[in-house]
Amino acid sequence: MTAVVLGLRLGRWGVVGFSGLAFFSSLVQTVAFFQLAGHTSAERAAFGKSMTQLASSLTLILPPPMRLDTVGGYVEWRSFGGLAIVFAVWALVSAGGAARGDEERGLVEVVLAASLTRFGWIASRITGFAAASFVAAATGGLGLVVGTINSDESVSLRGVLEQSVVLAALALSCYALTLLVGQLTSARIATAAAGVLLLSLFLVNTLSRTFTSLTSVRWLSPFHYYELNHPLAPGAELDVRATAVLLLIAVLAGGAAAVAFASRDLWSPLLRLPVRSQPTSHEIPRNPVWRIPVLRGLYERRLGLLVWSAGIAFLGAVFVSVTKTIIQPLMSIPALTQFFGAFVQGRLYTSFLGLFWFNTAELLFAAFAIAQVVRWSAEDSDGRLEVILSQPHSRAAVVVERALVLALGAAVIATLSGVAVAIASHNQAMDVNSERLAEGSLLLVPFALVFAAAGSVLAAWNPRAAVGLLGAFAFVSYMIAELGPLFKWPAWLQDFSAFKLFGMPLSSGIDRTGLLAMIAIIIVGFGASILLMERRDVGA
Amino acid sequence: MLRAMAVTAIRTSRLTKDYGIGRGLFDLDLEVSPQEVFGYLGPNGAGKTTTIRCLMGMIRPSSGTAHIFGLDCRRDSVAVKRKVGYLPGDIPQFGSLRGKEVVAYLAGMRGGVDAKTVRSIAERFDLDLGRRFREYSSGNKQKLGILLAFMHRPELLILDEPTSGLDPLNQQEFYALLRESRDGGATVFLSSHILAEVEHVCDRVGILRAGRLATVAQLEDLQHIRAHRVEIEFAQDAQIPEAAIRSAAGVEDVHVDGQHVSCSVRGSFEPLFDAIRSAKVTDLVSTEPSLEEIFLSYYSETPTAAPAPKALPE
Repeated sequence: MTAVVLGLRLGRWGVVGFSGLAFFSSLVQTVAFFQLAGHTSAERAAFGKSMTQLASSLTLILPPPMRLDTVGGYVEWRSFGGLAIVFAVWALVSAGGAARGDEERGLVEVVLAASLTRFGWIASRITGFAAASFVAAATGGLGLVVGTINSDESVSLRGVLEQSVVLAALALSCYALTLLVGQLTSARIATAAAGVLLLSLFLVNTLSRTFTSLTSVRWLSPFHYYELNHPLAPGAELDVRATAVLLLIAVLAGGAAAVAFASRDLWSPLLRLPVRSQPTSHEIPRNPVWRIPVLRGLYERRLGLLVWSAGIAFLGAVFVSVTKTIIQPLMSIPALTQFFGAFVQGRLYTSFLGLFWFNTAELLFAAFAIAQVVRWSAEDSDGRLEVILSQPHSRAAVVVERALVLALGAAVIATLSGVAVAIASHNQAMDVNSERLAEGSLLLVPFALVFAAAGSVLAAWNPRAAVGLLGAFAFVSYMIAELGPLFKWPAWLQDFSAFKLFGMPLSSGIDRTGLLAMIAIIIVGFGASILLMERRDVGA
Repeated sequence: MLRAMAVTAIRTSRLTKDYGIGRGLFDLDLEVSPQEVFGYLGPNGAGKTTTIRCLMGMIRPSSGTAHIFGLDCRRDSVAVKRKVGYLPGDIPQFGSLRGKEVVAYLAGMRGGVDAKTVRSIAERFDLDLGRRFREYSSGNKQKLGILLAFMHRPELLILDEPTSGLDPLNQQEFYALLRESRDGGATVFLSSHILAEVEHVCDRVGILRAGRLATVAQLEDLQHIRAHRVEIEFAQDAQIPEAAIRSAAGVEDVHVDGQHVSCSVRGSFEPLFDAIRSAKVTDLVSTEPSLEEIFLSYYSETPTAAPAPKALPE
């Protein structure tokens, strides 16, 4: 029991964060349904039909929907469909930490020395995550219930509870699979290997909707069993067998993880690849890059930059390819036509591509900036900053070099993703203004720097709180940008969003006011962080 | 004063870092001369690392000043760090970077690092720079930290518990490296709570307690603070001069067990020898106090309040 409590305590911020995310996601989608779907049954039937058409274009990401003319069916598809991915990522990160991260930090050694068995350790972590994921999933259900108060449609509480159980069961099966993979591989690649496995299982399921050759293997994927459940859609129900299979996957993978853990040495994987013996090296690399400021930072992050560049470029190409197919269903919804009217200027496809792609790219570049801030905070807490500052470099130079590394990294990603979007749109015969596409892509660099400047101030002020606060800032900013136009929030409130500064570069060119505001924020933010860094204690 | 600062490697004046509730460092006045190996002793939480971080400009003192080679540790921190090699108490996490990449990264930041020096230090500690940092044992991580501190042949080495995690062979290698650096003109400021280490390498020692400097002394002076333990065996037919022993100046804690007498002697042995001159002694053993005992006596005699600096024997 103590070990379960310890596991919950270690993951308490995950529970709080994902509960909040699930709650807001469900609440927002519920409110959005009542705003968009109309009030008469005919309007809702038309809305459901349009959304079903749209859903057929999004099968790579979201599960097949049911009863999109009802709030239960819509939220089940739009919110809980997306939350399945979010919870799988949570399970991956959390189990990656539990399987090998805690071991690297020495926590597992201490716990095992305190007479807990290895089976007990694995069981306690799985039990703790089961409780955490159910709480977060149920909080998501609460968002739906709250959203339907004072509406003309209600949802069954039993359905909400069943949806929470199914989502938690999916997260738990992903968690147990990650735990298992974590025992087999080295600590360095454990989370990445489990991520590849979960992504493969996800894609096997989603691609099987398009490629019939994959239907014979989709039974392997936990996501398949998740989709068989429709507890919120009227007329459908919980698939007890599918849910039982999800829990069985969790039990079997968790049991196998426990056996594997009991069979290996701490700090060693169960499966060891033969390693080519290398002669002892006492030399330092002669590569001149290590001596050049900024470039050495980029070189050190080269693998991460490659992954970010490839991932965002791939997503850009995917967005271009689905743009044409999703426009018509969206434009057939009267409320959305009015909503999109504010954005669509000139060419339809170009406007939509600008809206969908750059909205997503903004999020991804904000995430890239946050990832760098995570690193700055970690440098502070793990002592790297102390060693860096023991070299003859001023604190201001450290802040400036961080900013330049991030700016150049973002420029590389923006350039590659812009090229990918340009090639894909050319292949789709979409007439995209290449000059505006280039400007819009490069505008993502100052946009990322806005978040980095805010993160730099926070990391200089309080490195432990920096990531949480910056994440909350990004979340609130995004929500204001997304929901403000939909709910016609006042302009002054919408101006608070950092996402508003980016504008619509593909359809209406660069917003010079927004760009100047971004530059001002960057200068003030990094300037303030230099002043804060100069005054604060490091390593204390 | 300027001349004094120019010849002083480290100089602090009423240096204070107050963390509240009595924690921190208070009114530290300290001078370390060039080419001196200065040991900085104290139990956990005494303020050793706080002092070092003030010297390195990592933390801002609440009051007072710290200078290295006449340069202000905060205002001239970049110039100070050009002269200093620093080994922190906790080696930071460099994750999946290889040892050689860590060295290349930090050597690139510093500039002027000779690859031959790096190779020489790595070879004498048998440190494989081709392995990833996360694969290093704690001893290898410490060796890497030592390499990073010594690689640019600094004028001043500030080392926070440098032999932590090193095996005895590597400890000896480290002491040899330290002596070579001192002979080459470097000054060393070394914090430790391992007394044998201080006995091995230091010229002078400062003892810190509860954030205050209890004493600064030459190593040999410090060893005279505490009394020697003396065991005397008298012949079977000898009359033990117990009264004379008990009344002898500087003799304390006398125990008589048959023909065996044990006592403590503080200062000169002459009064004790005068007291036993008339009796036949078959054996006499005097045990020199170890630094460990001196250290323990410092921290056990005044457990609650910070002690005033003790007077050293004449």
